[in-house]
Amino acid sequence: MIPRQAVITAADWKQQFLPLQTMVDRTGQTRKVLGLLLDEITSTGIESIALVVRPGDEPLYRDAVDVAKADVTFITQPEPLGYGHAILCAAPFVKDEPFLLMVSDHVYVSALDGQTCAQQLTAVAREHEGMVSAVQATHESRLASFGAVGGSLFDARHRLYEVQRVLEKPSPTEAEQSLLIPGLRHGYYMCFLGMHVLTPLVLELLAQKQASLPPGHTLDLSSSLHEAAGRTRYLAAALSGRRYDLDHRHGVLMAQLAVALDGDYRDDLLAGLVEMLAQSK
Amino acid sequence: MPLTDLITSSDPLIRHQALEQAVAGLPLAALEAEAAALDSFRRTAPNLYERVRACFFLYALHRFHLPPLLTARAETAGLIPAAAHHHLLERRFGEAVDVLLAATESHGLTDALGSALAHAYHRLALQSLADQVRASVRQVRGNQWMFRCGSSDEVPLRVRPELTRPTGGVLPVLHEQTAVRMDLTHSAWSDIFFLGMDFPEGARVLNISVNLAVQGRDTAPHPPVEAFLRVIDRPVLRLVSVDLGASAELTELDEVFDFAKDHLGLLKAAVIASGLVPMGLEGSGQRLDHVLETLMGPGLGLELVSSVNGIPKGSRLAVSTNLLGSLISVCMRATGQTRSLTGPLEESGRRIVAARAILGEWLGGSGGGWQDSGGVWPGIKVIEGATATADDPEHGISRGRLLPRHTLIGTQLVGPEQRKALENSLVLVHGGMAQNVGPILEMVTEKYLLRSGPEWDARRESLALFDPILQALQAGDVRTLGALTTRHFFGPLQTIIPWATTFFTERVIDQVRAEFGDDFWGFWMLGGMSGGGMGFMFAPERKQEASQRLAEILVTHKRALNHSLPFAMDPVVYDFEINENGTTASMVTGAAALMPPGYYALALPALLRTDPRALPESRRRELEYFRQRARETPAYQATLTGLVDTLLPSGRGAQTSREDELESLLARNGFDPLAHERIRLDLQAGHIGLARNRLPANTRIENVRPGDVFPAATGLTDAHRTLGAAALDAGEVAVVTLAAGAASRWTGGAGVVKALHPFCKFDGRHRTFLEVHLAKTRQVAQRHGIVPLHAITTSYLTHDPIQSQLEAADFHGLRNAVHLSRGRSIGLRMIPMQRDLRFLWEENAQQRLDERQEKVRASLRTALLSWAKSAGEGTDYRDNQPLQCLHPVGHWYEIPNLLLNGTLATMLQQRPALRTLMLHNIDTLGANLDSGLLGWHRSTGATLSFEVISRRLDDRGGGLARVNDQLRLVEGLALPREEDEFALSHYNTLTCWIEIDPLLHSVGLQRTDLNDPIKVAAAVRDFSRRLPTYITLKEVKKRWGHGQEDVFPVAQFERIWGDMSALPEIPCAYAEVTRSRGTQLKEQAQLDAWLRDGTRDAIDAVCAWD
Repeated sequence: MIPRQAVITAADWKQQFLPLQTMVDRTGQTRKVLGLLLDEITSTGIESIALVVRPGDEPLYRDAVDVAKADVTFITQPEPLGYGHAILCAAPFVKDEPFLLMVSDHVYVSALDGQTCAQQLTAVAREHEGMVSAVQATHESRLASFGAVGGSLFDARHRLYEVQRVLEKPSPTEAEQSLLIPGLRHGYYMCFLGMHVLTPLVLELLAQKQASLPPGHTLDLSSSLHEAAGRTRYLAAALSGRRYDLDHRHGVLMAQLAVALDGDYRDDLLAGLVEMLAQSK
Repeated sequence: MPLTDLITSSDPLIRHQALEQAVAGLPLAALEAEAAALDSFRRTAPNLYERVRACFFLYALHRFHLPPLLTARAETAGLIPAAAHHHLLERRFGEAVDVLLAATESHGLTDALGSALAHAYHRLALQSLADQVRASVRQVRGNQWMFRCGSSDEVPLRVRPELTRPTGGVLPVLHEQTAVRMDLTHSAWSDIFFLGMDFPEGARVLNISVNLAVQGRDTAPHPPVEAFLRVIDRPVLRLVSVDLGASAELTELDEVFDFAKDHLGLLKAAVIASGLVPMGLEGSGQRLDHVLETLMGPGLGLELVSSVNGIPKGSRLAVSTNLLGSLISVCMRATGQTRSLTGPLEESGRRIVAARAILGEWLGGSGGGWQDSGGVWPGIKVIEGATATADDPEHGISRGRLLPRHTLIGTQLVGPEQRKALENSLVLVHGGMAQNVGPILEMVTEKYLLRSGPEWDARRESLALFDPILQALQAGDVRTLGALTTRHFFGPLQTIIPWATTFFTERVIDQVRAEFGDDFWGFWMLGGMSGGGMGFMFAPERKQEASQRLAEILVTHKRALNHSLPFAMDPVVYDFEINENGTTASMVTGAAALMPPGYYALALPALLRTDPRALPESRRRELEYFRQRARETPAYQATLTGLVDTLLPSGRGAQTSREDELESLLARNGFDPLAHERIRLDLQAGHIGLARNRLPANTRIENVRPGDVFPAATGLTDAHRTLGAAALDAGEVAVVTLAAGAASRWTGGAGVVKALHPFCKFDGRHRTFLEVHLAKTRQVAQRHGIVPLHAITTSYLTHDPIQSQLEAADFHGLRNAVHLSRGRSIGLRMIPMQRDLRFLWEENAQQRLDERQEKVRASLRTALLSWAKSAGEGTDYRDNQPLQCLHPVGHWYEIPNLLLNGTLATMLQQRPALRTLMLHNIDTLGANLDSGLLGWHRSTGATLSFEVISRRLDDRGGGLARVNDQLRLVEGLALPREEDEFALSHYNTLTCWIEIDPLLHSVGLQRTDLNDPIKVAAAVRDFSRRLPTYITLKEVKKRWGHGQEDVFPVAQFERIWGDMSALPEIPCAYAEVTRSRGTQLKEQAQLDAWLRDGTRDAIDAVCAWD
């Protein structure tokens, strides 16, 4: 299963400007975060990308997209009805095919030379012919920020897990009761990286849930993923790499440091940091 | 068969064999070999429960089976190494065993060493079990993360956004309502965690959630337990207990973990157990406002309010556990740890709330059974032990899981009509007694692990009653149900724990049965023991009448027994209904977002004193809504009325009348204000005090030498008996029973008359301590044809109750022989000096408690030190019931009182031949006018002959010693060093034979002077100066609220009779008597062993019952 399209969601009012933050990339070039994400996607060979934005935000993103020279379709989410709804807005774009889904407030740094995180994930999807989400062992104190999965070990060598349960932003109490994964340290759970290869089944489930959603409620993705796990084989892949959540205290700074430390000017940065540390109180 | 086989065998017939059966007839050497094998086994066995059972076997061998065989040895008295005692106090039980076994190896097993070994093994077993429960609580999935969280940044919970969105200017209130629970099957205490974890098949209860209304106060039953939570706009944790009238704003993290600082320990335990402030943050140095910021955002805090609607303590309905559950539930809902914010909880939520409630109880140093949080579940359910599977953390450690299995009994099994039938027949009451059931739960555990024959059969019989009770409930046949619960109470439950019943309970049952005949369908005991929460079943058509009549019966008997049993409050009758929701929550917003009425009674005085402009906007809006509600709702309106009463000055109140009563009591009981003032000045100046009680440090304290003590068990001869019998025949001997005491240790400071406490059944009914002593006198009378005179010394606390009860019983047929000697001395307790409190806690060896309890105790002690300082060190203690402010001044005064109040003169007039008195304490039940001992005493020519026993571990408080080479009794508090006591092999029983004429001579009197009160008073005053005055600290209870109690250490002084032996001109002799004669029954926890080791039967044998 090879995804040929990708969807990036950037319609959350809270993260409005995060994808437009300016960062210095591995090569020392000044880029927008969105540009880095588009690079991540295009590294997999996907050229057809949809960006879901809030009404009126398209011009803000247009510049970043133009610089990246990617083929991006803008899709507007008319109302803030949740992450699941934003994805559902892209259903006409992805039609009946698997697609790569990414959030726009994360930056990824791969630990494998020459293979991005998105490349690792799409490789798993290709090999195992099914849905797969990228996950990362995350300390329980960060559970309130992510969706998390519970399941069993599927392929130890490639750190693949078969997902049995998905919970959105679980409390540590729930996580400890139902999201334990063998082999992980106490207090760590497999949380989403914000990068998935999904099939139309998820869109179908989202649509069903959207139809029965009570007024005033928003649609999330995790409950549909949980349901999908009961219907089809759904894997979670612990990639060789890390995600950096920009929507967190010092999130942008940490992401910048991570990208820079992975790049050509690592030594310069380290020297600067050491000097800064030595002079700090 | 080796005893280890009883532990390890897979054959239930062998595993469940009673220990006493297995060791019956074994000689001493064989038993010692078995003990050695068991000790070796318990050190290596991998399974926790096998180790624990081996420890209990060892305890039983050393406590019950070895001592009778040791009496055959020439030397039974022995010493207990001080190091072993030190280990025991520090809870290093394993090390204590090692020291004791080394001593046994060197000197052979003695009674003293055996007693210490028994204690060490017993505590080691219970410690291992408790540690395992605690470890399991931590390992429950869903609880573990709280122990890992070490900084405010790591707090993973977030308060749900719904609770931070204001409506109408105020933030919403999350309101949790929870039922309490009753256990229809009682279960024979099988809900103790240890039992459920070792014997899950035997742990099974029928648990019902109920709503309550106090008859005469509430209009209709409602969920009695309520918790309220809201976000507030100050970064503090505000805790309020409506029932206890306590509130606090916590700003420091350490305050959250300080459980005994105020009355908010339960709320703090809930805050921690719910994860709001995770356990791992204790001692982390983190800031509470940072934790709150992580939970909710900057500048915000939380308010948590509890209310149990005036349901009194000790109801046996698990009110405190369900309150803890309710508080935890509301906190967990608020932080998204349960799926539902409002409505009933889902099953997984209920289970985690129950697990957290267990954790909370452990944090607060309290404890409950595993069914206690049953009020969190709806309706009727079976709760039963569950076998641990490979997925459970208990797997491989214990057979059962910590958390039991709950199976709801739906209406298809017990229909609405059947439920109604129960409601229509059952009357729930609180009898008014609130007793510590801890000792009972330990007895149950011990008997279970020993598989003691009758008790094990009773447990099986109790289990077998489960199904018939459930069937009767299903059939709506409450008459049969009542018959079964009654059979359960009078049969298996009392076979397992005879102390589950009380004199009060049985009198009430008898009267109800007499008045209602066939319409009284049955009795049912709730919880650990009877006297508190109880159920009575009646024919439905008479239920209304019965519940009203029962209230009167309970009050009548409570009043009659007020001085005999520890009542904490007046009895209460409840209306109840089955709660079909369990715990349930609702969120109220806008004008409805108010706290309960009682909250405002507490909060408004402070709010009204604040400038309205200084109040936050949300508080102003809240008060506006409160004002509107107070116009519409009577409960809120009543708050305003109560507030006016609080704020405005009132006339002479309860405090004033209490003061008057105290002054009157002091005046009537010979209080000497000048002497009191002198003692106060000495105390405040440091001339007297706990440290000053001790003899000089250079005093030589040595053990007795051979020949110092007469071995009465083996040394009494026929000549002694003949001499004694002749004296008894001639009416030359009288008994003096010291009955001035208030059973402080027995009731934990509740202040009942120990002499009148019906503590045990003899000859088919409960008997008081005094009845036992009179029964011994009756037997002597029957044997010698003349009734010995019997003086009972009383005090301000005990005189009137003893007199009226003796009058009511016509002096048990001994009217002419019994003389009451009213105490003529009284003291007024004082606030202790901080230095004395510190001396007591820091200079004296103390029993270390378990980790959590130790923290609670440390916090309590800090609070008590500041109480002593703020209340005024050395000032009068008057802030309690008047009788609790007074104190008897020591038993030395009792004999002088006989002289001062003319009782001895009357007795001598009545019986001129009287020569000898046998003085004994109220709790030395075995002391009787034994002809042999009397003959020995006469033959020594001593003025005073004291009875001593070979020391066991529990015999603390001095003993017989050579003090600077003078043989005398010495009090523990007078010993220069605590460890000196462990060099003494004999302990004072306080039973003393007194020759009247030589004693009078020593005081400077003779018989003819006894009719001259002035001369007697002068002689006694002069003599008393030669005896030391000791300062002691006594714990007294202060009752308040609905059955709540606080305990305060207060200072008092006393003089001790044993110090008479230090006067060189008074010849004294000492005899070692048997334990059954010399044992003092001071605590309820002693009862079971006292019964099992044969002491009770030995006492029964020297009694003749009326």
